[in-house]
Amino acid sequence: MKEITLQMQELARELLQKGEVNVVLGWEKGTFWYLSPPAFIDKPEDVERLVFDDYCHHNLSKYLMDYRYQDGKVAVFLKGCDSRAFNILLEDNQLEREKYVLIGIPCPGMKDQEKAKELGINGDIPLAKKCQDCKYPNPLVYDYFLGDKEAADEAAATREAKAIDYSDVEQIEKMTPDEKYDFWSSQYERCIRCYACRNVCPACNCRECIFDQSRTGWIGKANNTSENQFFALTRAMHVAGRCIECGECERACPMNIPIMLLNKKLIKDINQLFGEYDAGVKVDGVLPLGHFDKNDPEEFM
Amino acid sequence: MAVTVEQVKEINPLVPIKAKVIKIVQETPDVKTFHITTMDDKKPFDPLPGQLGMLSLPAIGEAMFSVTNKGENHIEMAIKSVGKLTEALHEIEEGQEVGIRGPYGNGFPLDYFKGKDILFIGGGIGLAPVRSLIMECIRNRENYGKLSVVYGARSKADLCFKEDLFENWPKVPNMDVYVTIDREEEGWDGHVGFVPAYVEELAFNPQVTVLCGPPVMIKFTLPALQKMGFADQDIITTLEMRMKCGIGKCGRCNIGSCYVCLDGPVFTMEQLKKLPPEY
Amino acid sequence: MKIIAKERLPEVLQLLAKDYNVLVPAKFEGVTRFTPYSGDVELVLEENVLMPPKDIFFPQTEKMYKFKAKNKSLEIEELPVEKEEQLIFGIRSCDLKSLECLDQVFLTKGYVDHFYKDKRERTALIALSCVRPQEACFCHSMGVDPQNGVGADIQAYDLKEKIGFKAISEKGQEILEKISGLLAEEEVSIPSFGEFNLKADIEGVPEKLQGMFEHPIWADISRKCLNCGACTYVCPTCHCFDIDSEVRGEDGVKIRCWDSCMFGEYTQMAGGHNPRPTKKERVRNRFMHKLRYFPERYQMLLCTGCGRCVIKCPVNMDITAIIKKIKEAE
Repeated sequence: MKEITLQMQELARELLQKGEVNVVLGWEKGTFWYLSPPAFIDKPEDVERLVFDDYCHHNLSKYLMDYRYQDGKVAVFLKGCDSRAFNILLEDNQLEREKYVLIGIPCPGMKDQEKAKELGINGDIPLAKKCQDCKYPNPLVYDYFLGDKEAADEAAATREAKAIDYSDVEQIEKMTPDEKYDFWSSQYERCIRCYACRNVCPACNCRECIFDQSRTGWIGKANNTSENQFFALTRAMHVAGRCIECGECERACPMNIPIMLLNKKLIKDINQLFGEYDAGVKVDGVLPLGHFDKNDPEEFM
Repeated sequence: MAVTVEQVKEINPLVPIKAKVIKIVQETPDVKTFHITTMDDKKPFDPLPGQLGMLSLPAIGEAMFSVTNKGENHIEMAIKSVGKLTEALHEIEEGQEVGIRGPYGNGFPLDYFKGKDILFIGGGIGLAPVRSLIMECIRNRENYGKLSVVYGARSKADLCFKEDLFENWPKVPNMDVYVTIDREEEGWDGHVGFVPAYVEELAFNPQVTVLCGPPVMIKFTLPALQKMGFADQDIITTLEMRMKCGIGKCGRCNIGSCYVCLDGPVFTMEQLKKLPPEY
Repeated sequence: MKIIAKERLPEVLQLLAKDYNVLVPAKFEGVTRFTPYSGDVELVLEENVLMPPKDIFFPQTEKMYKFKAKNKSLEIEELPVEKEEQLIFGIRSCDLKSLECLDQVFLTKGYVDHFYKDKRERTALIALSCVRPQEACFCHSMGVDPQNGVGADIQAYDLKEKIGFKAISEKGQEILEKISGLLAEEEVSIPSFGEFNLKADIEGVPEKLQGMFEHPIWADISRKCLNCGACTYVCPTCHCFDIDSEVRGEDGVKIRCWDSCMFGEYTQMAGGHNPRPTKKERVRNRFMHKLRYFPERYQMLLCTGCGRCVIKCPVNMDITAIIKKIKEAE
């Protein structure tokens, strides 16, 4: 990873010095050793801040939406899941491919921040939950690739999960409706409706989110289990079919709510009903919930 | 300045009292004036010119409006239909029961105006908060010097308070009224042009000025006034922000460390220059 | 000092629970917050609670009054006020300071917020001293003494195996007398505190910020922010609220609920104008409010150094780093 860090800094310096891009989006060290939050580098002198280590969880693709209407290009470092996020944004017509210089980084998996805090810097820290069943650790779209592509492909082939781990989803599916209701009520009682999950999600990219318009009355501002669940379920349905299982929503949640359970359940159902589909892998307009064919089955008609 | 200290202890400032709308006047296609009294036909509160009140249809919402005039037993609010609550208010009929609480805000500094000539500049619905002051000056005419009103709107139909502009105010001693509309229109033989240009054309002497209108009008009128030598502490405006509590606690109407609902909405140019330009 | 063995603390709480609704720091559904005491509650005394105690006095959703609106008629009815005496055990110095800030907001400047005042008056506070700083704590830099809370009725000291009590106010003296049967008198020394990990030098920052409204620093630091409300909701001093109504047919309730200056809709006016249209203005407003506007208005900072925002921000917006940047800026 130290190698990649040096390559990152070198490439960023080059792109900025040549004036090819106005800003480089990467990661830098944060307040604690187990945090590597996003960094925005405008000047070649600052590239030393860039780093790639076990805690670069943050998905940088979402920030690209802030540069849509500005002149000039933007460079961004993308891991596997980040590149899928970029594809989702392309698919949703939110970004123009030419404006962005994509630098792919093969990802070995990020480590769990909570466990890192517990076990300390010398502890044996496990992979973050969201990285454990990652199917696409290597970036799928890029202009530059850092590191050895062949070695990365090999490593990925041995490590990559063949399927998403649905064991926790299945556990809930086995519950009775009352048990499910109790489980989810107790989870969403602690939701504080901060909308961190929505703001960090690349699939949540509507210009005006339904939950930002209290005028319309779709959702009240009150915080109670009913409204919170409505928020959670609506958001899950709105991103269904476009969720790239990056797990950022669950990581961002300050109340440790298992948001990915909802998203994974929907992915499982979509795979069953519409055929195996991984969002953000191809940009071809064929979305399970956004594309129809006259020959689609219509048992209910 | 709003309620007395003794009153503060009794009433819960966030709970409105029940009131009724006794009269509705259509000023322009999208502005109506509502006359409001308590259930026993008294004024809900006694506002100073420039103060505000929170009017609500509780099932729909609550918003802050300036009191445009007060009578013996009622207060008036001129309201433009722009959003959810105001659209609903435009649908109601006379006799509708509403919630009201107030008065809020600091009001105009009447003492500062005493004995002086005053220039009132208004644009569109911006004349509404200023009107309360004009009515106060007319009620106590001998306390104030020459009164001049420059008012403009997009078109003839958009002119608010037509009765005041064309019939009542021109009859008031030592008071001049200048009205303009933005574009030529059939049936209008008055001045045509934007308010800032009209103010420059009329070439007033530097005097106390009260100014209220859409942000773009203020943006161009201020330099015109400054060019004519008006002093910052003599230019007074009243601002508008989204408000919810009305008592300086919910945090949203702040400009710097001032709350528009509590320390405003009336500010002098001198005060505004010290605040961050975030309004 | 009057002391009791830490493992016998539940006896004290049990006794107090006879006269008060006792709220203790406990783990509840995986999140630490102040919860009503009962025999099987999981007390958490080694670290500060995640959800700040502001929601005991200023609940996230609070009913203000009821109304009935049918056609032209309207009835408004105030809701009955709760009379129950409450007692918070284990509030930390940083959170006590936040109550001081909230008192300034809700109880001063002409209007008194009845809902807040009512709860504040019927709640007794037993502060608990901290033994060591958590990794994101910087209360000392903000003028807070982690071992002596200001404004509590009783100051309790965490003496590792024991808990010591010292009455501060008259109310505290009365409470102490109620539980004195369980306590023993002993000479104790309060353990020394330790070095803070995070520090912030706020000397001169409110004054310096007065000239920094248009400074490019805001465009720089706001880029990372997601504009969610996580920091504002876990912050013990943030107090912005919204007013909304919940209507079912003819009957409705007007509620007050937390709001965040980070949300786009916060200052959105009906005509379409928004004084803070992008996240740069909103981020700037948040830090200005904490470090300049509130001190200008109330002569105290609106940050108590509890560190919750530093831990919970999804992108690590660190107020201590921002303060440092402000100090170093031209």
